[in-house]
Amino acid sequence: MAALLLPATLLVLGLLVAPMAMLFRISLNRYDAAQMMQEALTAENYLRALADPYYREVLGTTLGVAFTSTLLALLIGFPAAYWLARMESRWKSLATILTLFPLLVGNVVRAAGWMALLGRDGAINAGLIGMGLIAEPWPMLYTTGAVIAGILAVVAPYMILTLAAVIEGIPRGVEEAAANLGASPMTAFRRVVLPLALPGVAAGCVLVFILCMNAYATPVLLGGPQFKMMAPAVYDQFVRGTNWPFGAALAFLLLIVTLALTIIGSTILASRSRSR
Amino acid sequence: MGTLTLDAISRRYATTIAVERVDLDVAQGEFVALLGPSGCGKTTTLRMVAGFVPPSSGRILIAGRDVTKAPPHGRDTGMVFQSYALFPHMTVGENVAFGLEMRKVARAERDARVREALRLARLDGLADRLPRQLSGGQQQRVALARALVVNPAVFLLDEPLSNLDAKLRAEVRIEIRALQQRLGLTTLFVTHDQEEALTMADRLVVMERGRVRQIGTAEALYERPADAFVAGFIGRCNLLRGTPEAPGQFRTATGALLPRLPLAAPAGSVLALRPERITVATEGTGLPARLMAVTYLGAQTEYHLDLAGTRLLAIAPTPAEGDPRRALAPGDAVLAHWDPAEARLLPAEPGDLPDDAT
Repeated sequence: MAALLLPATLLVLGLLVAPMAMLFRISLNRYDAAQMMQEALTAENYLRALADPYYREVLGTTLGVAFTSTLLALLIGFPAAYWLARMESRWKSLATILTLFPLLVGNVVRAAGWMALLGRDGAINAGLIGMGLIAEPWPMLYTTGAVIAGILAVVAPYMILTLAAVIEGIPRGVEEAAANLGASPMTAFRRVVLPLALPGVAAGCVLVFILCMNAYATPVLLGGPQFKMMAPAVYDQFVRGTNWPFGAALAFLLLIVTLALTIIGSTILASRSRSR
Repeated sequence: MGTLTLDAISRRYATTIAVERVDLDVAQGEFVALLGPSGCGKTTTLRMVAGFVPPSSGRILIAGRDVTKAPPHGRDTGMVFQSYALFPHMTVGENVAFGLEMRKVARAERDARVREALRLARLDGLADRLPRQLSGGQQQRVALARALVVNPAVFLLDEPLSNLDAKLRAEVRIEIRALQQRLGLTTLFVTHDQEEALTMADRLVVMERGRVRQIGTAEALYERPADAFVAGFIGRCNLLRGTPEAPGQFRTATGALLPRLPLAAPAGSVLALRPERITVATEGTGLPARLMAVTYLGAQTEYHLDLAGTRLLAIAPTPAEGDPRRALAPGDAVLAHWDPAEARLLPAEPGDLPDDAT
């Protein structure tokens, strides 16, 4: 058994752990305009990232977008996942494939579609002006709302499929028993379905939150030049600023914040689900 | 507490009819079993009463109130599911208290009633356990307690014993019946096990392919079956196709002429004769027959007879040592005798006789 795990272990060590270790080492170096970086062991990159109001705002925007998107994905995803999980007809596999459909298109292509839809001369503005509802184009592209909508389209399938897998494991009889004992559908949901689905809610939220925190193409294309989230900021440091130590520190900051919130969130949910 | 009335309820699907015009009145405190082979519509009927399946037509009345359109949570039924359907994230006490909470029963009364229900179900001291920490029999009793504690107008049981082993099943059968009688619960019980139905129910409803074949007490169904299906489904029965001949005679398909009830009973084409009503003798009166096989079963012995090509099964208490019948062996000539009143003519539909199976 252990021998069979060897390829996966080597892959993880070589392709994930090693680059991360190197990146962490770089984050402790000092930036030097002439020779790119100097060997050092300093925390100044981290201190700068935390002290600079610009990057604090970038982190704040990232957290705001990630929390909002995760919450919306949960609210939109739960009814869809419930419907999918309880579906009995032969169309169920088709519905599952349709759920995955947004993932068949690459991030950039999808964002281009959103741009065509939301832009100044996009389909929605053209339609609204054509109907005489508005005189001037309504600014939708390059807003936080556009970014959240774009991210939601990517992460919703992950949320729905994760939740559906857990809801399918909840016997229908348990819901019927709740109804039989006098629980309205809302009460049955709150007292029986939701508590039993909590592990799925936790897994779906963690997965989606991580994806949101690390979103790159969607905020760049739908947020515009003024809108900054962490992943594009890291990219800027590496490619435009060529400040690798600071970029590495930003990347680690993003990783640590994401990891910490993920652990806190899933611990809370786990304690609520009373899985003894 | 209440009565239950099913008024011509039907459930049709696109291509099949699950339940066809079922009429039934269950009196206050009565225990009625819906009995039939799988696919006969008994479970669908029960689920229509609980409100999980909407009837295509007909009406359902609980305690005189028309609940046909009412949602499951507005019907005041207490159901025990085949799978028990306990809430896995709640303790035994929380499971049993759930229905009382939904009915907004005050905390002190709720606690007292939960305690009482757990005591009745012999679950004292298990209130803080989770369902998965209990044995199958205990889980079954939690499901019972949870349904009973709310004092429902109608108590519904969907094959509640099918997941228990044989010994436990016999015990729980008696427990449920005792509890039902003590609390005077109006009960509808679904089973495919005729022994279960015969021992527990006041009345039985025999269903087949969505229709009610006969409703009656165990004795009525056994002694006066309405048709060949009921005769064959309740207990064992010789069912012979043939034609009635005048008066009090019946000619089987193989040509054997058998005595029957001379009354112009419901014109039917099947002669039904219970095996224990046939006497097998070595001398005296009776129709000559040949013994095909003898099966010794301790208290009883089964005799497989051949009457001019017609097969008959006779069951008799095993004769005492020294009785000439004790020595009967296959191939022996015997005399088969029965009171013509025991041989009834019954109507039959295609598929009603085991031999009809192709």
